[in-house]
Amino acid sequence: MLSQWLFYGFATLAVVGALGLILSRHPMNGAMCFVITLISQAGLYALLSASLLFALQLIVYAGAIMSLILFIIMFLNIQPADLPQETGRWGFLIGGSLAVVPIGLLLLKIVRSLPAGETTIIGNGFGHVKSVGLVLFRDWLLPFEIVSILLLVALVGAIVLAGKKETIQ
Amino acid sequence: MSPLDYLLVALRVAFGAFVPLCFVAVLVWMERRGAAFFQDRAGPNRCNIFGFRAAGLIQNLSDAVKLVFKEDIVPGHIPHKFYFILAPVLVFVTALISFSVIPFADTLVLGENSYVMQAIPLDIGILWFLACAGFSVYGIILAGWSSHNKYGILGGLRAAAQVISYEIPMGLALVSLLVVYGTVNLNEIARFQGQLLFGMIPAWGVILQPLGVILFIVAAFAETNRTPFDLAEGESEIVAGYHVEYSSMKFALFFMGEYVAMFVSSAIIITLFFGGYQIPWLATETLVAYAKPVALVLLVLLPVANYFFTGWIRRNNTSHYYRPNDPRVREANIYIRCFWILTGIVEIILLGLLLADTAPETIRIFVALLQMATFLLKTVAMCFVYVWVRWTLPRFRYDQLQKLGWQTMLPLSLVNIFVTSAVVVALS
Repeated sequence: MLSQWLFYGFATLAVVGALGLILSRHPMNGAMCFVITLISQAGLYALLSASLLFALQLIVYAGAIMSLILFIIMFLNIQPADLPQETGRWGFLIGGSLAVVPIGLLLLKIVRSLPAGETTIIGNGFGHVKSVGLVLFRDWLLPFEIVSILLLVALVGAIVLAGKKETIQ
Repeated sequence: MSPLDYLLVALRVAFGAFVPLCFVAVLVWMERRGAAFFQDRAGPNRCNIFGFRAAGLIQNLSDAVKLVFKEDIVPGHIPHKFYFILAPVLVFVTALISFSVIPFADTLVLGENSYVMQAIPLDIGILWFLACAGFSVYGIILAGWSSHNKYGILGGLRAAAQVISYEIPMGLALVSLLVVYGTVNLNEIARFQGQLLFGMIPAWGVILQPLGVILFIVAAFAETNRTPFDLAEGESEIVAGYHVEYSSMKFALFFMGEYVAMFVSSAIIITLFFGGYQIPWLATETLVAYAKPVALVLLVLLPVANYFFTGWIRRNNTSHYYRPNDPRVREANIYIRCFWILTGIVEIILLGLLLADTAPETIRIFVALLQMATFLLKTVAMCFVYVWVRWTLPRFRYDQLQKLGWQTMLPLSLVNIFVTSAVVVALS
């Protein structure tokens, strides 16, 4: 019962945050709204008893990535005068949402046609650090390693690029 | 849920919420008296209530009264007032909730039920701490940005860049530690450290991960924005950094948030590297088995320790010049009486434990209380290290800070991971 109300709360907050991201004019407001969305998504993961995903969502997305974005917004120090004049903003919004309506209806239909099933908690330790780690390193070792090498290449590349500028100067 | 369950939930949450708050007062006092000690002066010792100065603790009370009654200013030039007010709240709350996963005693077994002694029984442990550390950056960024002040922006930039870049060595130092412990659950980590190496040395993180300790402590200092990494509020350069525009209780929230963060990161360092709540050589089961001998030793040692402590009070709490009917001697006598009464109460409890036919639950609770005391004692000792470093080392220059983070600590922590993994694989 409580988890159902929590689900409604988090889902509403996620949608409100996403709307705020699109509708707010100042980038800082948009970024903070997005943070709300990310945190409520973490709450949704926690309701699905995926505790590792909950922690990673908070650490990586809500914690690291969004704080970097906030950092950039602060760095640029955007004044109201710097923001572009958006004339006909509401017209675009209404037109855009009208264009999206068919897709929304399709999604609704898909959700409606899903077979109704009892939701139960799967197994003991589902979504915990240990079980996710075992799945990653037993069944999906190669894809996991490829993705980590991709990230490592990006990291090394960023450091090399940052270092190059210094030597030129 | 039985009434006992509710009571234990309330007690654990109260411990998690109020202990860091109470220790703010203790730490501020420790910082001031510590600073005075290192600089060879007396420190705050004049504030009193009816002549009682409590070694300077009353100064905190007067500071709190001052901060509460100061005018609460929101400067007119600030366009985003909501973020301006949100920022100190975020800094304080994230520091406080990160304490909630730290175990302050081993799992309490009462009959058939067992209770995890953390404010929130989360099993992701250290990951929760990392998440909260990430969120504390928001408070700093928002404070610096919404203040609309050159110094504020500079302080916010410095603090945010520093916290973000030191999160990496901190996380990597943690990785090598987790390889050793094989778990992220802080309670399991603390229980691991109750074992003995070669049958004689406690298997604390500080012995298993000597390099990791140094890396983690340095990164933790940077995360809490404390000297030698407090460029964010470098008074000599940028006045007070990101909290330059704040006054009254909003400033007090930043101030308290700093000390709560210091307490929490000390508690984390203790839990990860110095055995947490474990008393060296006495793991929980050993303690339970030998509760009565331990109680007897305490029964004997406590009056002796109190005798020396009260003697120290009597020697030091006097006026430094002749005063008829020295009021400080009168004050000291009252303190000494209070300490003896306290000791007496503890002695009676210990005696009761020794003489009465005790149930296993009583022994368990006694062990849990002992472990809580050990945990708090270790944490306060670690907090003293924070104070010690702050008043000993000068501030880093900003480029030196970033260089240390990226060019020294990052490679060292990577090497540490490789060496640790190799050793763990070789031994297993």
